[in-house]
Amino acid sequence: MIWHIAKREIYDNLNSLRFALATVLLFGLMLTNAVVHLREHPARMQKYHDASTELLNRLRSRTDLYDLAQLGPEKFHKKPSPLHFCADGGEVFLPDTIYILISRITNDLNTLWYLSYRYQMPNLKNIRPNTIKVDWGFVIGYVLSLIALLFTFDSISGEREQGTLRLTLANSVSRHTVLIGKFLGALVSISVPFTLAVLMNLLVISTSSDVQVGTDAWSRLGIIFFISLLYLCLFLALGLLVSSRVHQSGASLVILLLMWVSFVVFMPSTLASTASGFSSPMTSEEYWERYEQLYAELGDEYNARLQDTRGVPTKRIELRGEYVSKGTERGERLIHEHLAQQHAQIQLARSVTRISPAALIQHLFESFAGTGFEQHQQFVENVQVYAREFREFVTDMDRADPDSRHIIGVREGMSQKPINSEAIPTFEDTLSLSRDFNAAAVDLLLLILFLAVLLSGAYLAFVRVEV
Amino acid sequence: MLITLVRRELLDNLMTFRFAAAVFITLLLVVANTAVLIKDYERRLEAYNTALKTHQQQLRERKTYSGGLLEIARPPNPLSIFNVGLDKQLGDETWIYHSYVPTLWDARMLGTTNPLLNLFSSIDIVFIFEVVLSLMALIFAYDAIAGERERGTLRLVLTHPVSRGQILLAKYISAMICLLVPLLMSLLLALILLTTSTTISLSTSDFLRIGGIIFSSVAYLSVFYFIGMLISAVTRRTGTALMLSMFVWGFSVLVYPNVIVAAIAPPYTSQARMVSTFDQIKQIWDELDRERKQFLANDAVPGEDPSFGMVKSGFAYEYFYEDSSVLYYHYGAGAHVEELNEESEPSVPHAQDYYRFLVPRSVDTAEQTWLVQRPALEAIFVQPAIVDRILLRFSPVGMYDAATQAWAGTDLHGLRDFFEAARKYRRTVIDYYYDKNAFRAREWFSADKGAVDWDSLPQFSFQRSDVRIHAERALPDMLLLLMMNLLLFMVILLVFTKSEV
Repeated sequence: MIWHIAKREIYDNLNSLRFALATVLLFGLMLTNAVVHLREHPARMQKYHDASTELLNRLRSRTDLYDLAQLGPEKFHKKPSPLHFCADGGEVFLPDTIYILISRITNDLNTLWYLSYRYQMPNLKNIRPNTIKVDWGFVIGYVLSLIALLFTFDSISGEREQGTLRLTLANSVSRHTVLIGKFLGALVSISVPFTLAVLMNLLVISTSSDVQVGTDAWSRLGIIFFISLLYLCLFLALGLLVSSRVHQSGASLVILLLMWVSFVVFMPSTLASTASGFSSPMTSEEYWERYEQLYAELGDEYNARLQDTRGVPTKRIELRGEYVSKGTERGERLIHEHLAQQHAQIQLARSVTRISPAALIQHLFESFAGTGFEQHQQFVENVQVYAREFREFVTDMDRADPDSRHIIGVREGMSQKPINSEAIPTFEDTLSLSRDFNAAAVDLLLLILFLAVLLSGAYLAFVRVEV
Repeated sequence: MLITLVRRELLDNLMTFRFAAAVFITLLLVVANTAVLIKDYERRLEAYNTALKTHQQQLRERKTYSGGLLEIARPPNPLSIFNVGLDKQLGDETWIYHSYVPTLWDARMLGTTNPLLNLFSSIDIVFIFEVVLSLMALIFAYDAIAGERERGTLRLVLTHPVSRGQILLAKYISAMICLLVPLLMSLLLALILLTTSTTISLSTSDFLRIGGIIFSSVAYLSVFYFIGMLISAVTRRTGTALMLSMFVWGFSVLVYPNVIVAAIAPPYTSQARMVSTFDQIKQIWDELDRERKQFLANDAVPGEDPSFGMVKSGFAYEYFYEDSSVLYYHYGAGAHVEELNEESEPSVPHAQDYYRFLVPRSVDTAEQTWLVQRPALEAIFVQPAIVDRILLRFSPVGMYDAATQAWAGTDLHGLRDFFEAARKYRRTVIDYYYDKNAFRAREWFSADKGAVDWDSLPQFSFQRSDVRIHAERALPDMLLLLMMNLLLFMVILLVFTKSEV
């Protein structure tokens, strides 16, 4: 019986204007998305490739252990995700490179390298109009949800107005069968053109030899597609809920559109801006003040203690080594604090926006496509892990040399042997699916929760409705 | 008769649920967002004021003419609350230096507590109107004709001695009145919020510009109402009219503006032009470098320029920065000598000679490179941005956005005004240096015989252009909107008078 009702719905929809328009819109958007990706992605990959090769060559050309310990790997590049077309993730607002910093303690004493998370604003020079990127996140988050509402707003109130609902219920069908039938009918009639559009999009993208989608990426795409269907169901359930509560389909549409506008268009930005006002991370001025104070104090301390060691070169070297490591450690701690506060602010704002399903889906897409803020945090973590590895390598190399004094950070205190440049660890930005799942778990659960609430809401509303 | 019709329509509309919903949601969104926007503006203003103080401080600490950069900042635009445009996105701090011409592309950002906050797009009042009120206009319009035709009331009305044009006009007037209520009410609330904030003071010219924004909003709403009415006039059923309206709305507000900008690629030829222009700029500077080396070779006193070994305390510098991605090349040389080495007094005249030669030459070189740089920047960056904006105007959203940005002064013109002012100020400063004979003075590089007195230096202040210029910039888009209104009205009239009831 369910299938009977669903089939009727599907036939009804297939002949309708909205089905035709929705299909055209979805295909057009997905085609644009694929074409833009094909145009932009090779350039992005090329840029990353060139930059990291150059960096690697520079790193390999070093043979002096002290230089290696002092200058470090210079910078780290974020690897562009092959699934960039699924979610752009605000690419222009996130730094794609992490640089290093070397601070001056006194005129002749510098710290070793440490990670500087200071950002350049990549969008500062962009005078093109600011628009939303046409990624899957946009197509599904905005357009598909709107289409879902346009398909369901009159599915119950419309039938009630025409009187056909009474007719249907006069047969020996239970109400929930009708509801599920309608739900399935709408789901099938939207997901068919949507799936076809997605397939066309993937087909276009995979025909190009420049853009490669690996096996890992395909499983990610599968997850993203599954999430899109969940999201679609959520809006279908919302449409059915409102449609069964409201008596006129005109009013039902107005309510749905206003809900859509507030939840999808406005809430993510407004909530995020409001929430980010609650925390105030260290400003750049504060940071620089503390930075200068830190190194001024260290420099004074060092100069004072330098007086005591006058004439004894070994002691002087030891003192230098001590202050180099102190300066590095404290500078790193300070900048890390700065970064942690900034990230915490963004994290808070992002969690607040989770009330909006559109923001949820944005987060989920970003997590699984390997773009956006989540991935940026992963990138920072990867760099931190590598930085530790790199330092351990320097220490190990130094320890292996019996002639060395093992004072890292002072030329005279370190091994003078040339090092094998092939052995230097190299950095490669990676993504891991299990970590993405962990990051996305809360969002996914919330999405399912919303869906469950709306579905049961629609059920209750329809069961209690008077025909 | 017209008044009777308008009254009937008005009463019909005002009592509807959709009217209440429109008012409620617009007020809610505008108030919530205005509060956020005002807070954001205050934060930017504070950053600006701090920057001004820091710049003053730096100037006071600078004892020689060449001992640093003169920094200037752009005040945030209070009308960015209405349409933020490029106001928050582009750099708002630049610097004045004799051998550098400031451009939009190498300005810095003030008060960036957390640059990652840009991940969240900011919503301004015009955006709310753009999305919500256009939707409302269509919802008011979709059944204006189709609905009456379905119910048969249209036939009834037409039995009276009224022309069809009058009916259309009555419907239009009453719907616009209904749409103006949420528009004006929310704007009023926004203005009340604005005036309660102590940091924002609006001048008469600002109010005139807000008036311009309101006028554009009305024209924009009316375009969408006409679109809805046209759809309603050509379709037989309200259901079809509704679907068509919604898809037209989705396409013109949501899809088209984003798709068109994504689909247009910046021209690939620009890369080659960038490289060749940058080479040209570098050559011009290399020429100066050769002359400088020649000069030093002919000089009697051996020594490392630019300090000539004079510095005991203080610093001397010579550097150049380049960023080929924005054709930026900055050469600087100078010193901030607080105390001279005892034995270097004889080399002071040589240093004076050197700077007397070098500084005017580098001023000229900077201007020479600017002549090369400007058209290239124009072709590589500005032209594509203008093309984008022209393409955006195929949707009423683009026209509305452009018109309100022009009124608010947050469009490209408004932003470039600041950099134009900065370039003018650079000229003023250089003229001031010439007046003071600064290039040949000892104070150019050394403060050992007294520091530079900065009190008579003309101050930089950025005056936004007056209402007339804003009006001129907004005029093309306003005219486009009005023409579209007129065109749509004529088409509807034509369709409606020919249609069967």
